[in-house]
Amino acid sequence: MKAFAYVNPANEKEAVAALKVEGVALPIAGGQDLLARMKDYIDEPDRLVNVKGLDATVTATPDGGLKIGSAVKIIDLFENAQVAKLYPALNAAAIEVGTPQIRHQATVGGNINQRPRCWYFRNEEFVCYKKGGSRCFAVNGENQYHAIFGNEGPSHIVHPSSLAVPFVAYGARFRVLGPGGEREIPAADFFTMPTLQNVLKENVLGDEDILTHVILPAPGNVKSGHYEVRYKQSHDWPLAFTTVVLTMNGSRIGSARVVLGAVAPIPWRSKPAEDALAGKPLNEQTAAAAGEAAVSEAKPMSGNAYKVQIAKAAVKRAIMNAAGLKTV
Amino acid sequence: MMAPAVFPGGNTRQGAQEETGNLADGFAKAAHIVEQTYSTHVITHVCLETHGCVCEWDGDKLTAWISTQAVIQSAQQFAQALGIPQTNVRCITQYMGGGFGSKFGPDAQGIICAKLAKAANAPVKLMLDRKEEHLDTGNRPSATAKIKAGVSADGTLTAFDAQSWGTGGAGAGSGFPLPYIYNFPNRKRVHRDVYINAGQQRAMRAPGHPQGCFLTEILMDELADRVKMDPVAFRVKNLPPAGPNAMWAQYFAEGAKRFGWDKRHPTGGDPAPGPIKTGMGVSAHRWGGAGRGSHAHVDIMSDGSVVVKCGTQDIGTGTRTIVAIVAAETLGLPVSAIKPEIGDSILPFSGGSGGSTTAASVTPAIRVTTMDALDALCAKVAPTLGVAATDLVAEGGRIHVKGNASKGLAWKDACKLIGTEPISVDGQWQDGLSGAGTSGVQFAEATVDLETGIVKVTRILAMQDCGLIVDKLTAEHQALGGVIAAINFALFEDRLLDRVTGQMVNPNMEWYLLAGMSDVPKIDIVLNNMPERGVIGIGEPPTVSTASAIANAVRNATGVTIRSLPLHPHKVLAAIEQEKAGGTN
Repeated sequence: MKAFAYVNPANEKEAVAALKVEGVALPIAGGQDLLARMKDYIDEPDRLVNVKGLDATVTATPDGGLKIGSAVKIIDLFENAQVAKLYPALNAAAIEVGTPQIRHQATVGGNINQRPRCWYFRNEEFVCYKKGGSRCFAVNGENQYHAIFGNEGPSHIVHPSSLAVPFVAYGARFRVLGPGGEREIPAADFFTMPTLQNVLKENVLGDEDILTHVILPAPGNVKSGHYEVRYKQSHDWPLAFTTVVLTMNGSRIGSARVVLGAVAPIPWRSKPAEDALAGKPLNEQTAAAAGEAAVSEAKPMSGNAYKVQIAKAAVKRAIMNAAGLKTV
Repeated sequence: MMAPAVFPGGNTRQGAQEETGNLADGFAKAAHIVEQTYSTHVITHVCLETHGCVCEWDGDKLTAWISTQAVIQSAQQFAQALGIPQTNVRCITQYMGGGFGSKFGPDAQGIICAKLAKAANAPVKLMLDRKEEHLDTGNRPSATAKIKAGVSADGTLTAFDAQSWGTGGAGAGSGFPLPYIYNFPNRKRVHRDVYINAGQQRAMRAPGHPQGCFLTEILMDELADRVKMDPVAFRVKNLPPAGPNAMWAQYFAEGAKRFGWDKRHPTGGDPAPGPIKTGMGVSAHRWGGAGRGSHAHVDIMSDGSVVVKCGTQDIGTGTRTIVAIVAAETLGLPVSAIKPEIGDSILPFSGGSGGSTTAASVTPAIRVTTMDALDALCAKVAPTLGVAATDLVAEGGRIHVKGNASKGLAWKDACKLIGTEPISVDGQWQDGLSGAGTSGVQFAEATVDLETGIVKVTRILAMQDCGLIVDKLTAEHQALGGVIAAINFALFEDRLLDRVTGQMVNPNMEWYLLAGMSDVPKIDIVLNNMPERGVIGIGEPPTVSTASAIANAVRNATGVTIRSLPLHPHKVLAAIEQEKAGGTN
């Protein structure tokens, strides 16, 4: 690890100011991702700006939603009674993150902003697009854990955030503070598909921006569900997972949000699955049909066609979870 | 892509060639023939404590606190590499965080550490990081075999013809036993080592056996199906003759009963509704575990304290515990009354801890030496009690006359008679207290999620012997550790090389998967105590057959045969897809 300076700002504004530096400055909260990247020489920041002291509370908003500070620990998000009551799929996603130790250290903001887990990106010897190189080694290499959607390139990572998926599904907005002041961005617009111009990043945050809050709207008359498929039972990255938020119209589904994780460079909203759900009764057949629809446009790589089947099962089971049915 | 030839004649080497009986006759007698390719993958030792040491010089004398399975051999290798007398090197390993066959010397990093310490004139600590550990401290070679095997209509194996390959990296061998255990009267096997530009293999917990076991045991289930026999009955029918080192028939029968094998549904897939299917599988294994050559030293002090010394090491197996247990039992004392000193190269010679040889090497040396020490003590005590030394026994913390517990002395009082010169005895391993050859059978139950390809192991039963069981707890824990390691081999561990560059893409513990607590099933260990055979090692055998039993359980659950490890969802789903499409599975 390269030596670095450490700055302890008193507030959000000071944190943003501290990110302006000759060289590279990065915010550090739980450090669960960043420290590993530094040890592996993937990132060599000149300065770390401590953002653990940012807002770490979950508060009710006037419209019946919740405002979640980005310094909230994942374990606290999981244990928050309001989160569990209003956004059960978010609660379910939180407990699936990492291990008890990681959940006690990692933060909501860090989870959203973590970098890809791609093994080429994480290995200093592979200078890929995301490290300023000119290729994605997964294309002709080992891609069993890479994307099955959004595979137009140039990068074929899957977005690593477990919380981003339910945030998109519940229609959250992300509050960002930068040198130009504060702005709010819909979660769905926060994450960016890779292009040659922006491939070094996974979202719209500028170098001097900080994600300060996640604002969840009142859930309304919805049923939500979550399902994650992992190879190991704990401490493993999901092969695919899904959050569904169904706006009910009597006993039928009015409209649906279906968002898949670990399958694309961004949390992947599935229009075909949402269309397959609209107007249908909430039952196993509907769930299975939505699963099929969700993967109808999948474009797997050379070694990850199996993830299409897994994504299909994750969508189906997330819907069954929302319906209160047994998932297997 | 053709690899450039690095070795003269190409990057392969002819390995074992064996032929017994008459293949043509064997296949002529076969009513059914199975012809398939089976394979296992490369896994690394992934020791939690990586390789490395702390080195400190005092003038021209080196002390190395080193993570090793062989303190004395490490001292020898340090001396050779550094050009100093072996008597100037001391290696200390009080505890070790896993070696599994990969830690028998200082390696490059140890020598570098010693040289840095010399140059710095200060102690230097050098431990490999996880990536280095994965890349360059050894691995279990891969194994692939194209096998053609025949079985007669009554379920008797008739013929076995195999071409096998494996890679142990650059210029290293990849041998393994094949066929494994079962009696194929007519058989031929030709092996080639394939050299690739990757880390070299090293001995890894039961070298060769998990590979040979898997390749044979999946085939055995396929053959059993052809003759419509139960896998247990089919195996029992084709075992070599039973013996103390070949107890499989008994373990198959007893294990089947304990495991509820009669509830196993016939092969063809679990008929239960829903995507989660359950199945059972079984496999057998063998190992050696003989002892040799250890020395020991025992001091009994006049204050009654006892120290037992041996230059062995405790590699996490409980060696320190069994050293104390054997001495304590011999002297009739509680275990806490013995001070075991091991893990230091200045102690009496003992070999490296490999091949499951430690218990069978060390305990006889401790027993013999402690008996001699006790004889010497009895000789001191006998005149006071007015009996012959040979009439005395040590038990319950007393030295007393045989058959008359009241006529004797408490241990401390007896030791007061030793005088100023302590009882100090050297001894060594003798034949007759240890044995060789173990056998075991394991049963596995697993579930498979047909929609996701995820395999979960739900139960394992390990039937195992290791001669005289010195300590049930540590013996059982060796079996538990072996089974868990083999679950990793079956499901999770996989050294993945980038197909373009040859670089390992998962030299970490993030994508190099290891079971967590939630991935470990209920494991029952049933040890068969065979005191008449003496002490035999148990470290390796329990890790051999687990993966094969799991793979056969997956086969039973799904009705689909997966002929290679690990049982990753991509493989499970592909096999199920192929079956649906009317494939050859």
